[in-house]
Amino acid sequence: MKIDKPRQYVVDNLKYVLNPSSIAVVGASRYPVKVGYKAVEGLITWGYKGKIYPVNPRADEIQGLKAYKTVKDIPYPVDLVYIAVPAHLVKMVLEDVVEKKAKVVVISTSAFKEIGRGDLQDQLTEFCRKNKLPLVGPNLVGMGSPYLDFDCGFVPYLPVAGPIGMISQSGANLVAAIGSSEAMHLGMSFFVGLGNKADVDFSEFILYGKEDKYTKCLATYIEGLDSPEAFISACRDTVPHKPVVAIKVGGSKIGIKAAFAHTASENEGTDDAHYDKIFEKAGAIRATTWQEFLDIALALGTQPPLKGDNIVMITNGGGSGLLSCDHFERMGMPMKELNQISPMLGFKIRAYMPMFGSPLNPVDISGTANATQYKGAITQAIRDANVDALYVSICPTAMTSIEEITDEIMEVYNTHKHLGKPFVMECQGGNECYDAIRKFRDAGVPAYPTAEQGVNALIALRKYARIKEKFSKQK
Amino acid sequence: MSEKVPQFMPKYMIGTEEQQKWIQKYFFCPRGLGFFEPGAVPMDNPVMSAFNIAKASYQIRPEVFNMDYLSKSLNLKKEEIIKRMKRLYDERLIMYVMTPPMQIIGYGLYYWVVKLKEGTSKEKKQALSEWFQNKDEICTGAEAEGDFDYFNGCHMRVLDNLIYDIFYRLRDLPEVEYVHTVPIRRAIRDLYTNMPDSLNDYRKFFLDDDTIKRLAKMQDKMDLTDLRIFKALNTKRPMEEVYDFKVLHEISGLNPDEMLMGIKAVIENNRMLVPVFHFNTRKMGLKNRLFLIKLFQMTPSYRKAEIADEIATIPEFNVINEFTDSFYDIGAAAYADLTDTDALFEKINSFSEVEDVKVADFTREFRRFTCRLDAENGMWEECILTDDFLSDITRKAMPAINLNINKEEEK
Repeated sequence: MKIDKPRQYVVDNLKYVLNPSSIAVVGASRYPVKVGYKAVEGLITWGYKGKIYPVNPRADEIQGLKAYKTVKDIPYPVDLVYIAVPAHLVKMVLEDVVEKKAKVVVISTSAFKEIGRGDLQDQLTEFCRKNKLPLVGPNLVGMGSPYLDFDCGFVPYLPVAGPIGMISQSGANLVAAIGSSEAMHLGMSFFVGLGNKADVDFSEFILYGKEDKYTKCLATYIEGLDSPEAFISACRDTVPHKPVVAIKVGGSKIGIKAAFAHTASENEGTDDAHYDKIFEKAGAIRATTWQEFLDIALALGTQPPLKGDNIVMITNGGGSGLLSCDHFERMGMPMKELNQISPMLGFKIRAYMPMFGSPLNPVDISGTANATQYKGAITQAIRDANVDALYVSICPTAMTSIEEITDEIMEVYNTHKHLGKPFVMECQGGNECYDAIRKFRDAGVPAYPTAEQGVNALIALRKYARIKEKFSKQK
Repeated sequence: MSEKVPQFMPKYMIGTEEQQKWIQKYFFCPRGLGFFEPGAVPMDNPVMSAFNIAKASYQIRPEVFNMDYLSKSLNLKKEEIIKRMKRLYDERLIMYVMTPPMQIIGYGLYYWVVKLKEGTSKEKKQALSEWFQNKDEICTGAEAEGDFDYFNGCHMRVLDNLIYDIFYRLRDLPEVEYVHTVPIRRAIRDLYTNMPDSLNDYRKFFLDDDTIKRLAKMQDKMDLTDLRIFKALNTKRPMEEVYDFKVLHEISGLNPDEMLMGIKAVIENNRMLVPVFHFNTRKMGLKNRLFLIKLFQMTPSYRKAEIADEIATIPEFNVINEFTDSFYDIGAAAYADLTDTDALFEKINSFSEVEDVKVADFTREFRRFTCRLDAENGMWEECILTDDFLSDITRKAMPAINLNINKEEEK
């Protein structure tokens, strides 16, 4: 439901969505196959430290916890009420929540506006707004934070801790991102499903993320924006401090209908150009594909903005270098030759490659490169004042010790991190490369399995530098 | 070969206009696919809202039921009725349940009788009872004492799924003497209430005042007023008098007129749902005595249906089912201590078509209408609606039922 601008009382209360002292789970179930069971189980399993109050009028006890018939019957203060009961009971529960003076309510339940019950959804939203009770959802999967051991809803696991605050209308994509996090160490600070976003909007979670100490980048998966002005306002407040990445779906002819059926998102009369304008005004960086969305969020969350176009790529694989330089040019940011960036750098790097290596840019230190050669070449480049960023690629050959090279590169990176130059890795190949990627990511270096992914990350970092400059000045 | 029809043959024949005219009298449900069969609606369809809201909130808001009607018919204050209903629920004595015409929504309704071998220990039987209690693919079931040991049932779309998941596993137990299948052709009565397959008096509730008085004296869980409330709640009346649509609207925000229209269509017009209150027979010390009636196999189908309907004129029976493709043809149950079951037995035996009657008393009911009844496990009213729609359970490896009761045996 539309808002003109982010509401401060909502932003102030969102800390109770992600860091509540106590939670009432309405619809908590005794049976493992039900959402209400999973919600309680997730809280317990992942180590939530606050109080959990299951609410279910049929049960005396749920998973070893005393169950209450209604929220009103809980004799202790409640910060967050998580609702997982059918849509036709939500109104009654909300009345209890208001009476209980809970700080915030999250409605997991589906079957509201997305199936044609827009009036009912609006009625509930108005009730919550009248009572200054922020409502997150309905029709969402849950939320959590690995920093707080908090997993509320029916998300099967927590992501690894990291810099990305993930705000998603889609539950499936949110869980997919969390799955990527687990598998590929895409670190998150928090995640939240917005579903139909009947009340609490993207803008308010963006402002929450702006102040959250763990969050370095906000990643927003959008199916429709009801309140573009509020989104623009929140982003403009945020982007001088933290980047915002956006992926907007539901723009195709069928997608418009699918987005409404999914999260009641209204996209009639809008097109990609319409959203391009919104994101440009907001200073949000738009991703086109899901992979790009995750990739650039990781880079923006871990690396400083890229202040210039002088990127040096060091690789032991000429093919990887070619894929990269072509993609840079395709994306409108062509690479420069090494002597254009810094006249002496080529000579310096020459010492770390065999005679058949190539000191152009990409710098090909050849397939025989060992850890020492990587270290030397990278150190020369990163210490050169004209170089703005490093893009390093490892392509395994029988001569390559991925583990040794990874450790050496990490050491160089850690030594020179203070220079504030973006550092991006590509490691293309088999399982040993995926191990290296995880290791780099754990150390705060965005690392990717393909050349183009790394290039996209650097381009996003460059975009963000421009956005930050522009919006800091405007502010 | 003469084309003349012998005089002893029935007058109807396959392919003639007269064929099986009795089908016009007896309603046999076609098997449909739930969502698409005309008149069938899934449980979460908006037309079901009134029932769904009542079912999910009567535990804390008994006033979802029409207190004006109840108060007037019982001559009791609304507050008193509400207070008593809350207590009855809190003490796990009542439960609001429903049953649909399973065949119409696309299921076969299959029951089965299990007989254990002579000498099976109590502990083994107890272990099997626990297995049944926790087996979600059973929507209604009971442990029994008498001619057989269990009577359970489930709705299935594919009979093979049931055979594989339950029957094969039971058959493999050395303690089991037999498992007999009793598929239901017509579910005529349950909880004293006539179901959609009844020939006459659909939704009529048969628990009379005299029986209620006797029941009130027999136990100390529900007094006469409680039982009168129970009866009033189950008494057939228009939907307007069943629910308070204003309260349903307060709870849900949904349009009361639309809720009324929807539930009237479902229950009154389309006979798609019969909601009833169930009472906790175990807590009240009641034992249902089930008569499994076997007719001579040459009894014509129409006569079997007629006999079932004649039995259905007997108000003491709280459950009546007509079976098909089974050793047994009709099942009828009455509470042993509440009725003269010997007299009922005689009545059944007075039909010359009856070949044999097996009798057993339910000693423990596991589930009714998909709802768990084991309050002692904290599972009262946990509703588990299993569904084998689009499933092929036969592709899974099913573990044997483990009745080992001590570690020594487990080795």
